[in-house]
Amino acid sequence: MEQSGEFRIGSSREEVWRALNDPVVLAKCIDGCQSMEKLADDEFTAIVKAKIGPVSATFKASLKLTDLNPPESYSLNADVKGGPAGFGKGVADVTLIEDGDATVLRYGVSASVGGKLAQIGSRFIDAAARKMANDFFSAFQGELDPESVETAVDTVSADAGQSPPTAPAGQWKIWAVVFVALVIAFVLTI
Amino acid sequence: MYQFNYHKPATLDEATALYKEADDPIYLSGGQTLIPTMKQRLAAPTDVIDLAGIDGLSGITVSGGVVQIGAFTRHAQVAESEAVRSAIPALADLAGQIGDGQVRNRGTMGGSVANSDPAADYPAAVVGLGATVHTDQRDIAGDDFFKDLFETALQPAEIITSIDFPVPTRAAYQKFPNPASRYAVVGVLIADFDGTIRVGVTGAGPCAFRACSIEDVLNENLDPDALDGVEVPDAGFNNDLHASAEYRAHLVKIMAKRAVVQLG
Repeated sequence: MEQSGEFRIGSSREEVWRALNDPVVLAKCIDGCQSMEKLADDEFTAIVKAKIGPVSATFKASLKLTDLNPPESYSLNADVKGGPAGFGKGVADVTLIEDGDATVLRYGVSASVGGKLAQIGSRFIDAAARKMANDFFSAFQGELDPESVETAVDTVSADAGQSPPTAPAGQWKIWAVVFVALVIAFVLTI
Repeated sequence: MYQFNYHKPATLDEATALYKEADDPIYLSGGQTLIPTMKQRLAAPTDVIDLAGIDGLSGITVSGGVVQIGAFTRHAQVAESEAVRSAIPALADLAGQIGDGQVRNRGTMGGSVANSDPAADYPAAVVGLGATVHTDQRDIAGDDFFKDLFETALQPAEIITSIDFPVPTRAAYQKFPNPASRYAVVGVLIADFDGTIRVGVTGAGPCAFRACSIEDVLNENLDPDALDGVEVPDAGFNNDLHASAEYRAHLVKIMAKRAVVQLG
């Protein structure tokens, strides 16, 4: 399945950058995030307990960064395992565009999922992915600048992304987090 | 199914106390969503708190222009109730269109509304009729109850006790059911309160909502053809293998037109 979207955040690059390098902030922004561990500069794992409606499952995600083009774009490869609930694999291509004082993150995800959740129903793939990503971004923006939450603009088909240019070394974190949320949402289709 | 502790409290206080003490609790009402989910091992609550033993949660009363339905009232009871049929026939019709016979005999109104499945039928009535949801703690306006995908105004341990539906002058519910599940791909309830129109939509978005653009047009001219020019934006609508967001937006208009025709 495929999904794309974009997200705009009104905070300055420096503020965003600081937040992105703050693991406490990131962990706060993912509902149910139990741990996030960096294995290498371009690799990490996360454990997230996700809950949508009656379904709840714990997912373990491994992520790897490729095609790194620091301030502009990059790809994330994810492998998500959710025990009996299901599993997913996918690639996210992320592009950052400067927009005045703000930044627009545009992403496209291509993922395949399997297991019970995918089998039982795909009624809510889109809605679940959108909700998880929106929840993440509004929490992230709230952490960055509690007064600017309304600048979260949802466009295209899915959710929204926000992100920082420059600062290549740290950017991968937020993209990784976004992608984990998306892939989990794909797996978690009820 | 994973192992869990089963509780059957006799009072609301006992139920909420159990909920607050447990590690990962969940309330069981009719169980038409929860039990299949648990059987598939897609949920593993530590404690299941069955609300079936609590007196006073079931039943239907009509008085003062309000139909009050206990949260534990089964869909079949609402569908067959003479009192509901004479006061709000559209609500009985709606209940009779939910799922299949088993679901209607086991499933409860409170369970359906608390779960807030985006394709459930009752939420269209809660929103469309401007209902009031009573819980063990407070009253919540129907307009404020549904928040997002499977998300409501309910707090974690809160229990719906009953729902008040104001009796409209007339109302109609039209849905486009999924042929297998009978879930509403889109369902529209239109209610006329002495010339003021309310429109509740389910199935189209992440949760039930009022279609204000349709209400505005119908308040001017209560005619199905008046809806021809209405724009129903599909932004944020559900998009799945059953129907695209664009198709659902189209269905909202079609179901609304049918409901207006049915109003007569």
